[in-house]
Amino acid sequence: MCSLPLVFRNINTKKLTHNYIYRSLVYSSIHYDGKSDPGPLFFNEEVQSLLKLLTRIDYNKVFRKRKLGTKLLTKPDYQFMTDEQLKESINRARKKADVLLQIPPVVKVKEINPTILSKDSALKGLLTSKIVFTDITFGVQNADRIIVVRETDGTLQEADWQLRKRINQTYFPENGRLLKPPTMFQDTYLENLLDREEHEFVLDRACIQFDPDEPEYQRISSITYQHINEKNLFHLLRSTRHFGSLVFFLVWNKNIDNLLLDLIETSNVNEAAQLIALYSKIHNTEFDGDTVLEKVESFTKSASNKKGALELAIQAYKEVAKSKEQLEKGVNAAHGITEC
Amino acid sequence: MLFPPASGVGVTGGFIIKAPKVIRLLRKGCTNRPFYHIVVAVSGNHQSRPVIEQLGTYDPMPNEQNERLVSLNFERISYWIGNGVTFSTPTAQLLGLAGYLPIHPTSYISAWRNRQKLEEEKAKELEISEQKEANASQ
Repeated sequence: MCSLPLVFRNINTKKLTHNYIYRSLVYSSIHYDGKSDPGPLFFNEEVQSLLKLLTRIDYNKVFRKRKLGTKLLTKPDYQFMTDEQLKESINRARKKADVLLQIPPVVKVKEINPTILSKDSALKGLLTSKIVFTDITFGVQNADRIIVVRETDGTLQEADWQLRKRINQTYFPENGRLLKPPTMFQDTYLENLLDREEHEFVLDRACIQFDPDEPEYQRISSITYQHINEKNLFHLLRSTRHFGSLVFFLVWNKNIDNLLLDLIETSNVNEAAQLIALYSKIHNTEFDGDTVLEKVESFTKSASNKKGALELAIQAYKEVAKSKEQLEKGVNAAHGITEC
Repeated sequence: MLFPPASGVGVTGGFIIKAPKVIRLLRKGCTNRPFYHIVVAVSGNHQSRPVIEQLGTYDPMPNEQNERLVSLNFERISYWIGNGVTFSTPTAQLLGLAGYLPIHPTSYISAWRNRQKLEEEKAKELEISEQKEANASQ
């Protein structure tokens, strides 16, 4: 009799050692739901070109082999080409990359208030469940489709956007989109994925599952961007279509210090200048200075949240640049080349 | 034609052009699982005969969210109305609830009957509970 409780205790301690309980996500979702709409600014040509420059396209990463289970692997095809043919094929690859790297649109959260079409209290008691009527006329877009609901109390009203989405997916399914959002977007699973650095996978899946103006899409993407920004994992999204929206998110929320620090520490000062140009374009402010470094310095002085770290990084960059210059001079002198 | 398509075979043969046509439900489910196609057919034809055109679907069993789904091709329905088609009562009821036709009188009648039934049941329940209370007090 004495041994029984001991056995139970052992089981209990074993169970406790497993870390089944996940802590909930520390990031709060940030939506584009303020008064100002980010859409027109995002689609501005200058902003688009800056975002594309900041993406820093590496064609090896863009066209890397991805095991998605949709295509069979094929043997590589080697060809002899003239210079012209080579140029042409490179151009073709660039165009293909442009399509692959199209930035998911950044727009305001949608608000659709379903209008009531008629109220008929004499129909009360007829229905025990709602009836959803969908117009399946050929050639109508999903957004323009007529979808109405007859409620059990007899009111006829337009469907809200959640129902619209479900019905459109039922009658006109989109490839890869599920009727119910997958569990990977729930907090505990999402955090696990982010800890495993699967940011691109999360964002790709969210792009398929949701529309860009849905609050759920903006919740997931904003949490992913915040995680990347906090852990300095910018390399994960470079050369993917999501880097542009990440940068836009950070600039819109005035939180570009980590990215700026990363750019300066990796000696990408030109990109730092582009980032600051984007900041001044979106927030309608100007940072004076002629050279790139001066602009960065004036930004750190006036608008930065991490002044100390940024100033130190700029100092370090200046010293490295100086020593490089000296080394070059020395090498030139050794080769007998002197500047006039 | 051994297996005519569910979407319909169109107007075949000269006699169909002038034959009276009807928009009606066609049962397509299986045992214990009804599912209907909304079709145009020559009125009076047996349900096993090929239809002229399918205009929609009706799923009478409520789904997880307690909704019944109806899909209707309004463009084609308008076309057939222009050709002088008539409606069976269930389709006229559905189209009335959709707001496309005026609400069918049968809908109002059955709604009124259901409400009446509910009231009677409530009155009965009240009577029974009152009797129980009276018995308990005695």
